[in-house]
Amino acid sequence: MLKSINFAEIRQRTWNSIDSRVRAITAGMGLHELRSVVRGDPPTEKPNPRYKVHTTSFLFHIRPRYYEAGSTILTNTFRLGFFTTLFLFIEVFTGLILMVYYVPSPEKAYSSIIYIMSNVPFGQFIRDMHRLGAEGMVIFTFLHMLRTYLTGSYKKERSFTWLTGVILLGITLFLSFSGYLLPWDQLAYWAVTIGTSMAEAAPIFGDQVNLLLRGAPDIGENGLLRFYLLHVVLLPLLAILVISIHYYKVSREHGISLPPRLEEGDIPPEKKKEAKRRIDYLPDLMTGEIFWTSIGLVLLVMAVTIFGYHAPLETIANPQVTPLDTEAPWYFLWLQGMLKLGDKSLMGIIIPTALVILLFAIPYIDRNPYRSLSRRPFAVGLGLLAVVVLIVLSYMGTPHFGIESDAATRIVQDLVPEEGVGPVRSVPYEQLQPGVYIVNETPTSRLCPNLDYGCPDLESLFADYTNRTNLAEEEGKLPDSDAVLLIDNWQQDLKKVTFRIGWTDELSERRTYERSIYIHRERGGE
Amino acid sequence: MLDRVQIQIFVGTLLVIITTVVVIVYGLNEKERMLEYETAYQARAIEAGATLFEAQCSRCHGTQGTGIPGLCPPLNDRYFFDQRLKDVGWNGTMEDYIVSTATSGRLTSTRPEQYPGQGVPAMPSFSQQVGGPLREDQIRNIAAFIMNWEGTATSIEVPPTPEGPVAGTDITKDLPEGDPTSGENLAVSFACTTCHIDAPTGPYWLESDTEPAIAARSEARLSQPDYSGNATTAGEYLFESIANPSMYLVTGFADGVMPNNYSSTLTEQDLADLIAYLLTLK
Repeated sequence: MLKSINFAEIRQRTWNSIDSRVRAITAGMGLHELRSVVRGDPPTEKPNPRYKVHTTSFLFHIRPRYYEAGSTILTNTFRLGFFTTLFLFIEVFTGLILMVYYVPSPEKAYSSIIYIMSNVPFGQFIRDMHRLGAEGMVIFTFLHMLRTYLTGSYKKERSFTWLTGVILLGITLFLSFSGYLLPWDQLAYWAVTIGTSMAEAAPIFGDQVNLLLRGAPDIGENGLLRFYLLHVVLLPLLAILVISIHYYKVSREHGISLPPRLEEGDIPPEKKKEAKRRIDYLPDLMTGEIFWTSIGLVLLVMAVTIFGYHAPLETIANPQVTPLDTEAPWYFLWLQGMLKLGDKSLMGIIIPTALVILLFAIPYIDRNPYRSLSRRPFAVGLGLLAVVVLIVLSYMGTPHFGIESDAATRIVQDLVPEEGVGPVRSVPYEQLQPGVYIVNETPTSRLCPNLDYGCPDLESLFADYTNRTNLAEEEGKLPDSDAVLLIDNWQQDLKKVTFRIGWTDELSERRTYERSIYIHRERGGE
Repeated sequence: MLDRVQIQIFVGTLLVIITTVVVIVYGLNEKERMLEYETAYQARAIEAGATLFEAQCSRCHGTQGTGIPGLCPPLNDRYFFDQRLKDVGWNGTMEDYIVSTATSGRLTSTRPEQYPGQGVPAMPSFSQQVGGPLREDQIRNIAAFIMNWEGTATSIEVPPTPEGPVAGTDITKDLPEGDPTSGENLAVSFACTTCHIDAPTGPYWLESDTEPAIAARSEARLSQPDYSGNATTAGEYLFESIANPSMYLVTGFADGVMPNNYSSTLTEQDLADLIAYLLTLK
């Protein structure tokens, strides 16, 4: 009976049946072929099944069949475009999880973030990843663009790809900026108020644009919903569309540009030939992509876990209280810096628009056929100048530049910032010994003789306060100052810390600035 | 020798394993982290509530919540936490009671003889939903701050309602003979000492390193160039400071912190006693 069963035939038939299923799924590659792909062996069949998938499978047909060896050198691209895309995928994935809990309404938005942080396992992890991924996307978009500019890769057949890249820069910035408002904290509310008020400066249709974005004269329920929909629907869809166009050009039309020295440098022909050697997508390029993905993921995960990067969250948005130090997101600081230089319409809208148009037009203006740095000194010089100007303008955009608040307010704001921790809140709770500490009267050492280990942090804080007021007095900003630090026990586990600074103003009138904060034992760090 | 593809597969696999381990180890601490976050958030709610209480509630309920006799009831009070809900027949939690009262206020006082409030409404509504100044989360913060008194609140004696003519604001009027001992007791029962001796919320009564005590200072104020009141003697200065505190503010102290209703809640005798006591602080 058993003899009548032909095991060899059954084995063969089973193998064939599995193999054909696998071929259906992989769009043409059998089991042997898969094995040799993973081992890095040459193709097992002819014609090469690894090319066939590029016509039969959708996901493979949008990938390149090969890149030229020279263009895959790490220092040619630094994989900047790849990482930008990787970050976008991380954003989509983490964003989807955040959307499960987030409620886009002024009453609920902030508390839904608090809920994510305090009641959702891995909630903080996902939020931190989303935030860091967003920062990464902006940074890598910018670096990608800078690299493309410096290697002259926007020329000839790649000029349209550059144009879609400029659009993507805009989309990335607005994706990030529209997400900024969603937590509905002070940081978000005021940064977006500043940002949208720039739109107002646009000639003719400024008011309309502002109204369209905010949904009302001030950001409220409508504005939040609009930003939310921009952030989760319109901009991601646009991004996917434009990235598809941008990437298809690279993968299927002109490939990644060779390093300028290999393309036009004075090098032996065999080297040139080697640079043009084809590296197939399967298995080399795909393994490379997975490899870089694992590197990107491990770095991002390390950053939010071991290195403790945390997405900022300030106190809930309060339209009635403008924070002392209002700041645009860092990638718009240059714009804030420009606004300090002159007229709102000119500096905030007309010049930036002209710059964007210039960016679009670069491939069409630059007729220089060469790509090497040394053969295009003017373009490279201009590019580097633009980077320096951006950095300087960004510095000018920070609140440290050009905004004078009076000395007493500044001192107290530095010691007890409205948001975040600051020196006072970092003093351990036990060391905040109740008392009246008068600058230049109370001795700065041995402030708490009844504490076993004394209160070094309080002492250094008091010394800091003393130095700052004395310095301001020397500079003539606080004539005849008297400054006091008061600490009271206010409630169980709650202390009140008051700063009071008195001085004589220009009209010889006595002025006082006073600010109190409360510190709870369990408040924790940031 | 391994070629590039094989090295990438090896290193990539290693990195994926490392990432997974890091995420799992991070996850082990999640419960604790979430609890910590919750505690810290609650602590910050109390901090925010303290600021709001100072700005919105303290003028009537006292900076330390000890209430102001003849105006508003104490909240930092044993009775408030132990008995109040039963007396008003409230079924929810204490925190909800506070939120509800602060949200909609009180049209009339429930204890008009002791704490009439400021008339009609006895307590204004504070929520933006009903025309007040505060958002819902701010009212919740205030409630968190008030609830933090629960563990330490002591019983606050209700002082008897004043009998006899009230003090008024005419500082030149002849007051009866004052008794310093009774004045000292009044200073405690009216909670004056909370701000003027125990904490530096108001000008300090006793002698300090830089200044003499209140009696000598009252005398000196009269000749100060920035003095803006009408008093001509130390006694009148103290009368004015108690009955009409906004007339002159000592440098460094804000207007409106000192309750301004003593002219109608203190009798002439009480005021005379208080002044007599203060004049002994030399």
